Amino acid sequence: MGVIGKRVAYYPGCSLEGAARSYDVSTRIVAKELGLELDYLEDYNCCGAMESKNVTFMGTMLLNARNMSLAKKQGHNVIVAPCNGCSFSLQRAEYFLETDKAVYDKVNALLREGGVDPLDQIPQTYHILEWFYHEAGPQKVKEKTRKPLRGLKVANYYGCLYTRPHFYARTYAHAGGQDEDARPRRRETADDDEHPYYMNALLEAAGATSVEFEPMHTQCCGGPHSLSDEMVSEKFVMMILQTAKRNGADIIATECPLCHASLEMYRHRLMMKGVPDVDVPAAYFTQLLGLAFGYSANEVKLKDNLSDPLPVLKRLGLA
Amino acid sequence: MAIHERSLVEPERILRKERLVVDGVDVSGDWNLIILPRVINDYDLDFAKEVINSPDGKTINQCYQCSYCTASCPVHNYWDERYNPRHFIYLARLGMIDELQKRADVMWRCVSCHKCTHRCPKGVLVEEVLKAILRTMAKKGLIEEYPSKKFDKFFTESVLEYGRIEDGELLFGWIEKQGYKVFKDPILKKPIPFIGETPEWLKQLTMKPIKSMNIGFLVLNAKHMLFHPRTKNWSRFKQVLRKVMQEEGALH
Ligand code: SF4
Ligand code: SF4
Repeated sequence: MGVIGKRVAYYPGCSLEGAARSYDVSTRIVAKELGLELDYLEDYNCCGAMESKNVTFMGTMLLNARNMSLAKKQGHNVIVAPCNGCSFSLQRAEYFLETDKAVYDKVNALLREGGVDPLDQIPQTYHILEWFYHEAGPQKVKEKTRKPLRGLKVANYYGCLYTRPHFYARTYAHAGGQDEDARPRRRETADDDEHPYYMNALLEAAGATSVEFEPMHTQCCGGPHSLSDEMVSEKFVMMILQTAKRNGADIIATECPLCHASLEMYRHRLMMKGVPDVDVPAAYFTQLLGLAFGYSANEVKLKDNLSDPLPVLKRLGLA
Repeated sequence: MAIHERSLVEPERILRKERLVVDGVDVSGDWNLIILPRVINDYDLDFAKEVINSPDGKTINQCYQCSYCTASCPVHNYWDERYNPRHFIYLARLGMIDELQKRADVMWRCVSCHKCTHRCPKGVLVEEVLKAILRTMAKKGLIEEYPSKKFDKFFTESVLEYGRIEDGELLFGWIEKQGYKVFKDPILKKPIPFIGETPEWLKQLTMKPIKSMNIGFLVLNAKHMLFHPRTKNWSRFKQVLRKVMQEEGALH
């Protein structure tokens, strides 16, 4: 514990200030309760998500380097992002800037040209889940829980990019049997690559029960294609929802606004088509933690969730 | 050949013999399957060079064709077995352009989940390499506009313009690109939901916050749609971005 720092630069990313404001609001609540401090990254720009990198390599390096430079300016060596796409993009830039001198030099020259301070040092990026786990952890969550999520069966959905690829996310190659020095960079903060458990641990500390959800817990939701290749996305979401439902989940906990949106959108379409066993609602893990910390459904913005988890939570007396 | 890759062989090259005698030994029944060889002479070795020269494509040479990537890929396993990352890498390295082109209709379907990269024992950044191959093909005019590329471009243009994206505009802009008639207000030229054509499922979904009277949510998103959120210190940086993208051939 204590490897990342209690006060970090917070990169919310575009969607947390729009359609996914419930994630932003509940994240701030959870951070406050856990005694952690988020320093909002002023005037940030889009990380390019999963789209821009397919169009331009140098462009995405620049987009992310600009945000890194802003963080340095605010006095931070660590950036925390609540979205799988954002943390992926930042970590990807980090990887190329660290391993490719030519890219690093070119990016710095271009930053200067664009009126942004070049990067003398590259800040490190973590997903917010890693941060919560390492700076507060299950123990602290347990202490803060006033209304335990008793009886709530949760399918913890991590999405693909939280643990992948290990080059960027620095996850621990569980199955690889690597020896100590061969482990990836910053391994001490990284989750297990094939069997991530940080979200399970935090929600279980808040009183919830995790249901069996492998291997769908890290299966792609089709997010990057959710608007351009609907058939693939629909099929992937169907597999995820049905696995959760058939293993008895009341709710799916998410930790990425893109996954969340994709699950809700396609859940709706699948239900319209009458596909069986897809009616599990989704909620951000921070919303569930917020409820456990004694906040109301309104305060964690549960109404924003289009898949409407309120009835399930009410039935269990949790909201 | 890994068993799941049987689909790579065109049916007309697979021969099944009733009676087969090899060097005087009758092997009918056990070894009666023959795959006819093919001769390739129209390869383009410069193609691979272009992939290797981009920072995200340079690991293509480390691949030793074990097919771990394909075995772990969800698009291959759950969607279309013609989608085969290992094979695309193989074809790109040999510069077998027309074989690549034959697969253009599935090549773009990668969902960027990075399972391939994660599992590759040789440290190939598989997903990045595949995107570098696609980009090179697009640059040479070997692959037509495909849905995800159109969307990627549309998305990137929005980022370039404002520094940030906005969900509503992205959604309705995309619907418009798919041929729906989106109604726009005459002054700001912004799409107005519910008046123009919208797919039925989306209409129902957007009705939810209205039905549950989630005013705060509606106001916030309406505000963002009308006044696109933007990064303030953007104009000078935007020039640099534009220049870089032009150099890469990503903008015209
Ligand atoms: S897993 Fe890696 S080495 Fe094996 S075929 Fe795929 S890219 Fe090549
Ligand atoms: S990133 Fe693309 S190629 Fe790799 S496993 Fe995912 S879908 Fe398959």
